[in-house]
Amino acid sequence: MEKQLEDLKAIREMMEKSTKFLSLSGMSGILAGATAICGAAFAYFYLLRDPSATDYNRFQETMIMLADAMLVLILSLSYAFYFSWKKARKSKQKIFNNVTYKLLYHLAIPLLSGGIFSLIFLLRGDVEMVASATLLFYGLALVNVSKFTYNEIHYLGITEIILGLLAAIFMHNGIIFWTIGFGLCHIIYGFAMYRKYDLKK
Amino acid sequence: MKNIIANLNKAFESRIRLGIMSVLMVNDTVDFNTLKELLDATDGNLASHLKALESLDYIISTKQFIGRKPNTQYAITALGKERFVEHLNALEEFLK
Repeated sequence: MEKQLEDLKAIREMMEKSTKFLSLSGMSGILAGATAICGAAFAYFYLLRDPSATDYNRFQETMIMLADAMLVLILSLSYAFYFSWKKARKSKQKIFNNVTYKLLYHLAIPLLSGGIFSLIFLLRGDVEMVASATLLFYGLALVNVSKFTYNEIHYLGITEIILGLLAAIFMHNGIIFWTIGFGLCHIIYGFAMYRKYDLKK
Repeated sequence: MKNIIANLNKAFESRIRLGIMSVLMVNDTVDFNTLKELLDATDGNLASHLKALESLDYIISTKQFIGRKPNTQYAITALGKERFVEHLNALEEFLK
């Protein structure tokens, strides 16, 4: 009886382990969310709230926002990489295996196309659509990779897509939806996943 | 009860073989080194279990070269799938 139960457990574990990237840590979500909120707060209080407070021209303003967004992106990716590496090492797994490459590939397609698409809008000076576009493509990227990792990522993706569509409808408040999507949602999902997968081990 | 035990496949008694079959059930092809890492097995041990499963026609292997390094890919056969599902059902029956 005991052996049969153990066998079933081992089978299940092997099936998951060989098809899913399970080194993703909720902690990287929490930190990425906090960073996104800081980035959005900087953009809002420094530039958007009162454009007359600073004497940048439109182009300089766009460049500062772009640098701000890039910094948030790079920091978030660093957290994801660092905490995954740490978690993989703890469970004596390699961080780069077939599943990781598959995941990165399927993540990159919607994410890069969305990034370039948003950049085109940004350089045209059409800043208001950027919040919606980044949320939408990010959501699509997450839904696309959710089959290679924890199920929660699927729902996070759906949430981001809905927020992206709302940001397109309420275009002038894009930054609010962007802050909810990249900030608050990451913190909530990150915290939930941290409690579910990381704490008990 | 006797019937249930009869359905448990002796070929899957070892944990390594169970692992090999589980991984191949959900992946089209898997190479030797990936299996080794996933199952945390030694070369010799894994190779002998793979050979045993192959001789039962539960899995097939294809050898190829990546540069100069030999690379063996493994895949499950229709027969292997059938036998493994039977084994899974038997395991579940056993626990009911």
